Amino acid sequence: MTRSEQLHIATQWFSDQGWEPFKFQTDTWKRYWQGKSGIVNAATGSGKTYSLIIPILIEFLSEHRGKDRLPIQNGLQAIWITPIKALAKEIQSSAQRAANDLGIEWDIGIRTGDTSSSDRAKQKKNPPELLITTPESLHLMIAQRHHEDIFKNIKVLVADEWHELVGSKRGVQVELALSRLKAIRPQLKIWGISATLGNMEEAASILFGHYDQQPDWKIIKSSIKKKIKIQTILPDEIDKLPWAGHLGLHLMDKVVDVIISSKTTLLFTNTRNQCERWYQTILEYYPDFAGIMAMHHSAMDRSQREWVEQSLHEGKLQLVVCTSSLDLGVDFRPVETVIQVGSPKGVARFLQRAGRSGHRPGAESVIYFVPTHSLELLESAALRRAIQRNNIESRKPYIRSFDVLAQYLVTLSLSDGFMPDQIFSEVRKTFAFSSISDEEWNWVLAFIHSGGAALDAYDEYNRVGIVNGRYHIQNKSAATRHRMSIGTIVGDTTMEVKYLKGGRIGQVEERFISALSPGDVFMFTGKALEIVKVRNMEVRVRASKKKTTRTPSWGGGRMQFSSQLSEELRHQISLIYSGDYKSIELKMLAPLITLQQSRSHIPSENEFLVEYFKDREGYHLIMYPYEGRFVNEGLSTLIAYRISQQMSISFSIAMNDYGFELLSDKEIDVDRIITHSIFTTDGLMDDISRSANEVEMARRKFRDIASIAGLVFKGFPGAEKRTKHLQSSSQLFFDMFSEYEPNNLLILQAYEEVMYFQLEEDRMRSTLERIQNQNIIITRPNKATPFAFPIMVDRMRETVTSESLQDRIQKMRIKLIE
Amino acid sequence: MIIQHQEQTLHLHPLRGIYWEEQDILFVADLHLGKATHFRLAGISVPSDIMDDNFSNLNTIIETYHPSRVLFLGDLFHSSINSTWDIFSMFVANYPDITFELVQGNHDIIDTQLFDPLNIPIYTEPLVIGPYIFSHYPLLDTPENLYNFHGHIHPGIQLIGKGKQYIKLPCFHFGTQCCVLPAFGKFTGLAKVVAQKTDAVYVIAEGQVIEVKI
Repeated sequence: MTRSEQLHIATQWFSDQGWEPFKFQTDTWKRYWQGKSGIVNAATGSGKTYSLIIPILIEFLSEHRGKDRLPIQNGLQAIWITPIKALAKEIQSSAQRAANDLGIEWDIGIRTGDTSSSDRAKQKKNPPELLITTPESLHLMIAQRHHEDIFKNIKVLVADEWHELVGSKRGVQVELALSRLKAIRPQLKIWGISATLGNMEEAASILFGHYDQQPDWKIIKSSIKKKIKIQTILPDEIDKLPWAGHLGLHLMDKVVDVIISSKTTLLFTNTRNQCERWYQTILEYYPDFAGIMAMHHSAMDRSQREWVEQSLHEGKLQLVVCTSSLDLGVDFRPVETVIQVGSPKGVARFLQRAGRSGHRPGAESVIYFVPTHSLELLESAALRRAIQRNNIESRKPYIRSFDVLAQYLVTLSLSDGFMPDQIFSEVRKTFAFSSISDEEWNWVLAFIHSGGAALDAYDEYNRVGIVNGRYHIQNKSAATRHRMSIGTIVGDTTMEVKYLKGGRIGQVEERFISALSPGDVFMFTGKALEIVKVRNMEVRVRASKKKTTRTPSWGGGRMQFSSQLSEELRHQISLIYSGDYKSIELKMLAPLITLQQSRSHIPSENEFLVEYFKDREGYHLIMYPYEGRFVNEGLSTLIAYRISQQMSISFSIAMNDYGFELLSDKEIDVDRIITHSIFTTDGLMDDISRSANEVEMARRKFRDIASIAGLVFKGFPGAEKRTKHLQSSSQLFFDMFSEYEPNNLLILQAYEEVMYFQLEEDRMRSTLERIQNQNIIITRPNKATPFAFPIMVDRMRETVTSESLQDRIQKMRIKLIE
Repeated sequence: MIIQHQEQTLHLHPLRGIYWEEQDILFVADLHLGKATHFRLAGISVPSDIMDDNFSNLNTIIETYHPSRVLFLGDLFHSSINSTWDIFSMFVANYPDITFELVQGNHDIIDTQLFDPLNIPIYTEPLVIGPYIFSHYPLLDTPENLYNFHGHIHPGIQLIGKGKQYIKLPCFHFGTQCCVLPAFGKFTGLAKVVAQKTDAVYVIAEGQVIEVKI
């Protein structure tokens, strides 16, 4: 079939639907039919799915041209990876529609964590031609015996929503799976679909790895642009906004006005706890919303979430209070309005949420921003400018994730086993592991085979064994645990909440439940629930009529300001300094700014503000780098450490996205100590390593690592006692390895992740360099300033000290039961 | 650290045991022996040196006091039997002059008959010696005139300093009716406990036992 014939069929099908193909679609088709790879850079709802479904189907038509009828049961032809299970169905129906019209009798299957084992068995026997799946489920296919047979005729792998996968360990899973598929099928085409990222080229090169001598891929950009309008929900007076806080409920009446005037609204909150609180409060003050309002967050049971999604589709709901759980996924056409409560922390996330409304092509998307405290008004202006300038974040890729590699090798050992040399050469072709050394590879092999240490005669370590050089899993229960753990990245221990009769409600963290006893009532998924009993990671509850505001909170997922947003925020502050109050938000802030000015100072672009004052809590030293909370955390520890090198002192540290506070019980000679030399980049890495917090941060990062690498096992209902004896915490493993095996690669990885993703050493360095070129302005306000207040109320405290532990204990006391 | 308690002399050792001078008894809780091996057998990587440290700590504390009795307050062994049992048997055989005794805990699932050749008596009920009653679980109703020593909790107390500093440390926690011992075993972790005004708390930090202000 000639190119023009192919193009004709595709265009004809489009016009049958009443559509006309966009240029990026035809460009993609042509490139695909040339047998080449690429990335389609297009937003959701722009026809990105058909940019690839169509050429895949027509490629099959071309191959069998001239035959009386198209063959059936052709085996797996194409894999479509989606990070979100909810999207699979929509892709399936789009593909099915095109296949039917083109007379192609393909089986288009879905395989996700929800696929039943009988369906999986059917798929194994008769693989669908097009399989829509997740990274985890693809790994589970690789874990099957004779997996090479399944993939031997495959033509293409499509990584949908690549922008989501690229900054996550699931992206590394895709890379590893691709390395296997490329080895089985060298002519495999690789395609990605991605929204715009700051590092588009890098994101693409990660997907394509190092499989070809001369990489031949291309980014095909859609020129469709969406108009976005940001509308800040303003209080009548600035006094109505608190100086600190994160709930934003004081603006609820105005928010409800917006909701009432619209058909369907998504109200995005930043945490699940905030989501619950908004839902409860709206219901309390506006009981008419009962029945037309729902909640959606990741701790709710899946069936409830699916019900909400379905009702959204059908236009039955006027309001859904949600979290990032609805950032991605299928388009809900009835949604007219999007509201964001509190800082979205990043430009890309804000754009994504804004894009949830206004689906008609060319329609303007409106997003309402609800500031939760007064300074957040600045962010609204900052976001507007960022979007105008197309100042979008990059996604940093995970590299050298040895936890994911160990998991993958155990996966391979489940199938037919693997020969290490062959797999090593495959793995090295991925972007993530291109720099892995022989020593590191051998360490990972030893980790799965002997537990990391040299096996001695008495050792009973039992996981993956070696038979004739081939690595095979030996331990049946370890194999079962492994299959169950692929894809379950558990953070804190969670407990299942169920009704007495068995209906699932969702998950809450163990630490929340451990503070409660039977008879206590708490709010969850908008309902008052009374605890009846707690047993085996299960909380049995019944509905209660009692009133309470006790609501669970969930750890993790704390986000920081992106460097793009930080930069935009500093720009807004410089606008204040120069008296440029053009935006409505800055006008509103004027009284607060005047107060800040009279108590302390407003820094210009070449000034760095430091505030120092004493109250009954102690001595407060506050600095404002405006760099995002994790970078501020790193800077605060660094400065605390450097001060503590000059005097014996302990600090407690608080921070937010704007700045940080060092609180101590001793006075500091700030004029002598806080000079440019304390912000030097000399010895930066060493000083970071010596400051105590790095250990704490690494300990937290180790949670995911330990669970991915198969160290932490959560247990499952009905497990026998000996299995329960295998439960442990990642913390304990962290301490143990730190003490006994400090060179354990997983421990080192935790530290690398801290440096790279959390402290963002490069960002810290550039911040310090910026401060070197600024004038340090030290003010001594007589009490907390409007800038300082939101930092000081932050409850997540860290400590840095140069006093001995014993000295500290002498000064401390025990918290008593009240 | 040596303290007077109910007219008895108790030595609180930083390796997490108590030596009772009048009765010449050493008591320790929650050794969880064999835990590292149990994990390794299941294919979960745990450094096997942990096991050696458990025995060398037990050895150190025994050599310090030369008690005539060593009392384990439950969770001596972490789970079902494995090779660590043989090491434990040899360890016990090294001290023919000492009686080792076990008050059973929830983790002690090893067949009790296996303890017979080692001459280790097992108590399924709390054990009374003088003014004290020893158990694994905290007793809900401590009999009158008796004071309960127990394990099971793996206590870690949170200390709070000025400027919102805090730290969690293993401790001996003496309440009005009972005292919980820190877990002796490595690889056991800490569970947060809280104290009352009438309690006495001794934390273990940097190899020392330190009394903290209530």
